[in-house]
Amino acid sequence: MTSIRIKNLTRTFDTVRAVDDISLDIKHGELFTLLGPSGCGKTTLLRMIAGFADVESGSISFDARRIDGLPAHRRDIGMVFQNYAIFPNHTVAGNVAYGLKARNVPAAEIKSRVDKALERVRLAGYGPRSPHQLSGGQLQRVAIARALVIEPAVLLFDEPLSNLDAQLRTEMRIEIRQLQQALGLTAIYVTHDQEEALAISDRIAVLRQGKVEQVDTPERIYRTPQTAFVAEFLGSTNMVPGIAGAFDGRNTHVAAAGTEFAVRGEIAPPGAPVLLSLRPEALRLGDGSDGPRIQAHLTLREFLGPMQRLHATLPDGTQIRISALGAQAFDVLPGASLALAYDPAQIKAFPSP
Amino acid sequence: MKRFATIVTLAALVLLAVFLLYPLALVLDASIRIDGTGGLTLGNYAAIVKSRYYLGSIGNSLLAAALATVFACAIGIPLAFCLARIDVPGRALLLTLASLPLVLPSFVSAYALVLLFGHAGVVTTALRGIGIPIGSIYGLPGIVIVFTLTLYPYVVMPVLAGFQAVDASMEEAARNLGGSRPYVIRTVLLPIVMPAILAGGLLVFIEALENFGVPAVLAEDRPFLAIDIFKLFAGESDANPAAAGALSVLLIACTALTLLVQRHYLGKRRFSTSARSAPAKLPLTPGLRLAATTVSWGIVIVSLLPFAAVLMVSVLRFRGPVLTWELGLSNYATLLSGSYRPLLNTLTLASIAAVATMLIGAPIGYVVARHRSRLSGLLDFIGMVPFAVSGTILAIGLIIAFNSGPLVLTGGWLILVIAYVVRKLPFAIRSSSAIVHQLDPSLEEASINLGVSPTTTFATLTVPLMASGLVGGLVLVWITAASELSATIVLYASGWVTTTVVMYHAIEGTGAGLAAAAAAVLILVTAIPLLLINRRLNRQQTTVI
Ligand SMILES: Nc1ncnc2c1ncn2[C@@H]1O[C@H](COP(=O)(O)OP(=O)(O)O)[C@@H](O)[C@H]1O
Ligand SMILES: [Mg+2]
Repeated sequence: MTSIRIKNLTRTFDTVRAVDDISLDIKHGELFTLLGPSGCGKTTLLRMIAGFADVESGSISFDARRIDGLPAHRRDIGMVFQNYAIFPNHTVAGNVAYGLKARNVPAAEIKSRVDKALERVRLAGYGPRSPHQLSGGQLQRVAIARALVIEPAVLLFDEPLSNLDAQLRTEMRIEIRQLQQALGLTAIYVTHDQEEALAISDRIAVLRQGKVEQVDTPERIYRTPQTAFVAEFLGSTNMVPGIAGAFDGRNTHVAAAGTEFAVRGEIAPPGAPVLLSLRPEALRLGDGSDGPRIQAHLTLREFLGPMQRLHATLPDGTQIRISALGAQAFDVLPGASLALAYDPAQIKAFPSP
Repeated sequence: MKRFATIVTLAALVLLAVFLLYPLALVLDASIRIDGTGGLTLGNYAAIVKSRYYLGSIGNSLLAAALATVFACAIGIPLAFCLARIDVPGRALLLTLASLPLVLPSFVSAYALVLLFGHAGVVTTALRGIGIPIGSIYGLPGIVIVFTLTLYPYVVMPVLAGFQAVDASMEEAARNLGGSRPYVIRTVLLPIVMPAILAGGLLVFIEALENFGVPAVLAEDRPFLAIDIFKLFAGESDANPAAAGALSVLLIACTALTLLVQRHYLGKRRFSTSARSAPAKLPLTPGLRLAATTVSWGIVIVSLLPFAAVLMVSVLRFRGPVLTWELGLSNYATLLSGSYRPLLNTLTLASIAAVATMLIGAPIGYVVARHRSRLSGLLDFIGMVPFAVSGTILAIGLIIAFNSGPLVLTGGWLILVIAYVVRKLPFAIRSSSAIVHQLDPSLEEASINLGVSPTTTFATLTVPLMASGLVGGLVLVWITAASELSATIVLYASGWVTTTVVMYHAIEGTGAGLAAAAAAVLILVTAIPLLLINRRLNRQQTTVI
């Protein structure tokens, strides 16, 4: 059980601030995800914690103990690499035993702990095999077993599933989550896949250009993004620019896309440019409920099985996407006009950049 | 990790400073001293410039190197083109054979020329018998022929890679846009291949300029730089270390300058075959294909013929200097009757040198590849210096440095090993760093992350992973150390005579049969390990050049 405190961490490569004054508090037993687009500094931050990238300024502590001065091999961290990094010259068991041998664990104990770790990742009996006989998913499990078996203070994952196919990815992320919870390990998980982050995290930090945009639970990150960047990065939201109008005591009226939206709260002074985030699932096909509506024209319908995605144009031609249930009775043809109902509380407004 | 890199870098820099830079500095120092009194002077250089003999020597060396470069390109480029673009039968074997002359001792090839076309050569005598006199092969003609035939692979390797690096789609696009074939060759192919030709050609120039063994066998009394340096330093009668130093500095200046230009062209293009689709083999008429086959195989066979000739001659009896057509092992008997020591010395010294070179070179190659820093950049640069220093000059420097003072090494075996290690270090560094580049760095990080210190990780994980590649490098170092002549001839002491020294003295004296046997032994000693690892070798050689 370890908590991690990161304070004012910075790292610059030439002119790029890969990690720019980041501070985070990670609770013990938490699965904490660093989420952000490629190049935002996730790997650099993770490698600073692991000891593979130098800390320029700032500090990293496990519980009350500062670790940023320790060499990488003495940090007691288990790391799962993007490309597995399975030693090709060792068997599966040899790979898992590697860290135990480094810790001078007695041979008999190594054997039982390796077997147990392989069992944990559902690879019992694979010990004597050579890594090249294993599939990608199995290699990933070996990598996880190898990191778990040393009972590290902290577990780090750098995009561990990005080399697997979609099906395996969804299975493996559940396995990782269950293992982490069962062992009660503190884990930092790096990914650029927002769905993966939402699915398994206790909390998420969204990173952008080396800075933290928002730290929150998956629900709050998704529902109440603090910045336009977070809103846009999580879920394919519709971003519509507009001009704030009058506040009627409950909603602000915003002129956007050739129509008018009501947004809960006083979001901006009248005349201020704003960005509206309309989640695809926040717009409902006219369902008889009252509340504000907007008019749109259907241009394309994608049937995706459990749901369907509608592509529509707003009065000024702005393209938007709407999610609707797949089973919803639907006989409107492209070109037809739609009345879309929404809840003003579900529309987020951000100051225009 | 940082610390490991720093320790390796510093240790390597110290080693190179003591055994490479310090001796070279002493050579430079000797060149600006008045012989005897030790006062500073530029007189040694002035004496060279005023001397017709030394100017002739410099001129001969430069001319031989330049001609060899031109001829090596003249046969290397067509051969590379045939290997890349024409469906030559036995291409894989041809490729292996084409790289052999680089590692076989070139002075053996020179000696074969003497055996065949020399004053008492087989061919000369036969032709004279039927009334056809042939010109002398001594001096420039023979030397250029041998340089060409032994150094052309330096052109073939990078140029072949260059031809293969031309993406098929690039050529197709150019043709599709209406270019005729010659036009495409001129505008698409040559610009890509030109740097490769220059890089390879300049390497031929450097090697030819530095070479000691070939002129030692073929120059007779014509002045050549490498020979004169040796004679001025080690000669019994007319020793003049100051003049030897001045000539050495001039030679290093030439080779260093050429090396810098060569690196420049090498740096412009990495000759990796990164093309997604290798260019298609050219459709040729059967006649043209036959011509291409004849030319390719012809070049390679002719370049290897001298070695075959030596092997053959070594099992014929000599009567005095005259070859007879009687089969017999008498030459070998003579070679071994004296003592087994030279052969044993050759094997021992080469083995120690090879292991030491790889032990030192592998960590340096690793650090240079993995931990880029200003310090490792400096190391990378200094590690290339031996390329520009001939064996003779390095040996002279080592003698001046370690003849007296706190560390006396002359007269022993260690100084020979040091010379071999320093000379072959660039190769070991290059080949190791090429191997490291192919290793996924996260493997080492995984090991460190699991609690194994960086140093132990290097020794127990990285080295085993590099092992198969390192074996290739080890064998190549072993081969070149076993057939080393230029430094050995300066440094050997009575107990440490090697096979190359035996051969050198046999050629100088009248032991034609003895020389042939020694040459044959050298060929066998180098060719056998080579053939054992030839698959690995092909890969290595392209990475190293
Ligand atoms: N070793 C390095 N040298 C120079 N720049 C680097 C290095 N590592 C990362 N960077 C730069 O730092 C930024 C963040 O990289 P990284 O942490 O790998 O991002 P992510 O993992 O989020 O994709 C990028 O702009 C990248 O180009
Ligand atoms: Mg990354």
